[in-house]
Amino acid sequence: MMVKAYARVAALLFPALLLAIAALVVASCGGDDDNSAAPTRPASTVAASTPAGTAGGLAIIGVSVRATTNDVSAAYFTVKNTGPADRLLKAVADVTANVQLHEVVTTGGTAKMQPVAGLDVPANGQLELKPGGYHVMLLDLKSPLKQGQTVKLELRFEKAGTITVMAPVTD
Amino acid sequence: VPGWAAIVLLALVALTLPACSGGEDKPSKANELLGAKVEPPYDKPYETLNDTSGKPYNIRTETEGKLTLFYIGYTHCPDICPLHMVELKRALAALPADTASRVTVVFVTADPERDTGEVLRSWLDHFNPAFVGLVPTRQELSEMLKHLGMNYPERTDIGNGNYTVSHAAYVIAFAKDNVAKYVYPSGITADDWVHDIPLLLKEGPKK
Repeated sequence: MMVKAYARVAALLFPALLLAIAALVVASCGGDDDNSAAPTRPASTVAASTPAGTAGGLAIIGVSVRATTNDVSAAYFTVKNTGPADRLLKAVADVTANVQLHEVVTTGGTAKMQPVAGLDVPANGQLELKPGGYHVMLLDLKSPLKQGQTVKLELRFEKAGTITVMAPVTD
Repeated sequence: VPGWAAIVLLALVALTLPACSGGEDKPSKANELLGAKVEPPYDKPYETLNDTSGKPYNIRTETEGKLTLFYIGYTHCPDICPLHMVELKRALAALPADTASRVTVVFVTADPERDTGEVLRSWLDHFNPAFVGLVPTRQELSEMLKHLGMNYPERTDIGNGNYTVSHAAYVIAFAKDNVAKYVYPSGITADDWVHDIPLLLKEGPKK
């Protein structure tokens, strides 16, 4: 059902998407020497801007969980904030009871991963969880996560409360 | 839908981009490597380690004449390690077969207690069955890292019997001359590899 709904939305959005890209590409040609707007990954950029969940001034965009063959994985997303400062305190998943917030600290080329108590979302700013930085770590998975699956994530924020998102599993 | 959508998008971008790139744009950097230059360069390890089937694998002789993309990581790593493997898998699939066949990807585990040959093989197969997996003993790992001048992996306990392992965040690219002048930090994409691999294949002994 969920997949069908996505497919329909994608089909509806698609012509608009083409136009948007054409417009972007044309715009980047027309400008003087500013090529920075030229989209290299248009499809994902557009899809990622649709919030997967919102609460208060917070919107979760671009959420995904990495496919895995073992019992660990990571979830990534961006928290956009149009309101006052907030803090991500905890994440809960439907695929495991052991979920942690992690940061990767890279010093002199060596990466070290460690748990953190919470992640700050700046006022009128954003918190980005991405490879090499922060991630939601899923541990002790009962079975490996495969592409096409969906993970339900509850993200608990200090002020905005809980935002529930459905995260697609991707390679 | 996503399949043809992607093709149409690519075609559209491909058609419109040449129109933009003419004229007095910035000079092309097509021949510049995107990798990070390392000084002094790394020397390819001489060690012989067990591969995922338990057979001895001499890193020098087995990869002779190949561009060797060398990485030290662990399979319980959710972040940087799988990302490098995914990008390499995509890059090798995108390159012409006769280019990809001149590249060997070697993954050495920094967590030999959890990463048995079987565990590492199943994890690597998820990306590409041709990726070589090596399982050193602690002693072998320590010696190899010492020769490379790299830090020994540190464990961080994260509860419930789980731990993370510190490791180098970059892939080391050994050219055909067994010397690596470039490394590829986390964040490097398949497109970056597709750009650099043909250039890296030109590095090494000049005929």
